[in-house]
Amino acid sequence: MKLKTTLLVAALTTMTAHAEINISGFASINGGKVLSGTGAPQYGIEPSFLADYPIVSTYTEDFSFSPESLIGLQVSGDLGDGLSVTGQIVARGANDYDAEFEWAYISYDINDNWTLQAGKKRLPLFYYSDFYDVGYAYVWMRPPADNYTWQIFNYEGVNLLYNGSIGDWGLSTNIYTGKEDDEENKLLSDFFFRSPTREIWEDIIGGVVNLSHDWLEIRLTHMRYTNKRFVNGEPTMWNGQDSRDGKFYGLAVNADFGNVFILTELNKLKLDSDFDTYMVSIGYRFDEITPYIMYSNYEQDGEGDTEKHDTTAVGVRWNFHPSAAFKIQYDRVKDDSFDFAVAGDSKALTFGVDVVF
Amino acid sequence: MKNLIYIAFMLLCAQSYAGVAVIVHPSNASSFDDSTIKRIFTGKEKSFSNGNKAIPIGQEAGSAATEEFNSKVLNKSSAQLKAYWSKLIFTGKGTPPKEASNDAEVLQTVSGNPDTIGFVSSSAVTGDVKVVKEF
Repeated sequence: MKLKTTLLVAALTTMTAHAEINISGFASINGGKVLSGTGAPQYGIEPSFLADYPIVSTYTEDFSFSPESLIGLQVSGDLGDGLSVTGQIVARGANDYDAEFEWAYISYDINDNWTLQAGKKRLPLFYYSDFYDVGYAYVWMRPPADNYTWQIFNYEGVNLLYNGSIGDWGLSTNIYTGKEDDEENKLLSDFFFRSPTREIWEDIIGGVVNLSHDWLEIRLTHMRYTNKRFVNGEPTMWNGQDSRDGKFYGLAVNADFGNVFILTELNKLKLDSDFDTYMVSIGYRFDEITPYIMYSNYEQDGEGDTEKHDTTAVGVRWNFHPSAAFKIQYDRVKDDSFDFAVAGDSKALTFGVDVVF
Repeated sequence: MKNLIYIAFMLLCAQSYAGVAVIVHPSNASSFDDSTIKRIFTGKEKSFSNGNKAIPIGQEAGSAATEEFNSKVLNKSSAQLKAYWSKLIFTGKGTPPKEASNDAEVLQTVSGNPDTIGFVSSSAVTGDVKVVKEF
């Protein structure tokens, strides 16, 4: 974010042809353990707190730093005339710190308002989806696990961004289309089916509209996709078909009154049945110390035993350094299902340090 | 009495240091209100009312002008601002203003480029730039 005097003056007063390379990054070193929990004995799952579904960040009764710690490095090359290339490499404790490119895209500023991007990006499904890994950017240890459950979180495709204003309102929109073919999906393979599962989301088309005015921010989103799945190489059939369509709807409203803030999200995924998720969080800023509470809920519509769970969390964020925050959070998860149990009830304590550089 | 002198001294200091001036090139006749300035410095507004591209110039986090500007104009602490920009940087949706290291550097840049807008301590303002708003 800093630039030397000479570079600044040079960059602003002369037109230079060489690429300007920017390197930035983020990291979270998080640790924690389950204090008590039921697990899901019917599936052989010990007392566990599933902090992040897609990458299967699982805390158990043994203290560990692995589930959620990560480091990300972003390299961006500005080629001039609105063209840039960006790559983001992330190494996660949950994947033994194997570094992988999670973002790799080219970006072209058509004008001051419109930007066209193509490549591999994060699927912007929920409000926090595309900066989920950047813990420093939000108040909690993590966005609520039982809202951010969907197994696909990246895609390859094209998107068009708009950034502008209408009167005193800031308006930004994003329209995207693409596909993700996850040869061995971690959540489905390692956790739910315990067999190698290839998960395909294709014909993804989605849009996001973000409005902001002073203390208020509203985000609306819709996305549709076609799902195909292969478990052990065998296609999964739904109602006699080897594919099914999903439609996602989301509304997020955030109000920030300076010291007090309220964050909300309401989402629905229509697949074979409806999956409703929501969360509400309230926090208060005492200078650099921000205590908060959060409640999130997941419910699958339908008769009898469906997937149902919720999480109540309390925590504190402390900005102890200009580029670093310490957080500690207590989570109580209640899992109300048997056949559709995820990891059972649990009480867990997690803490960590988030940095950006 | 000692206390009174001390208080008077503090007030004087406060007066001479309080205040941050938002400055543009003297040729920039655009209109500015608090909301416009806030939007330009948070990447939500990309041009001036005269239609020209707007290039905001920030200052390094530690400088007195930055602290004042962040709290009085943007209504955000530096940590909140850093969180805000982190979200944009790592999602490819924006880049924070370039940062100058002091008032003199901002004055030099703004007086030399009609597309720029910056902020400096009110006491540092010179005739080479135009003050559009003081906070």
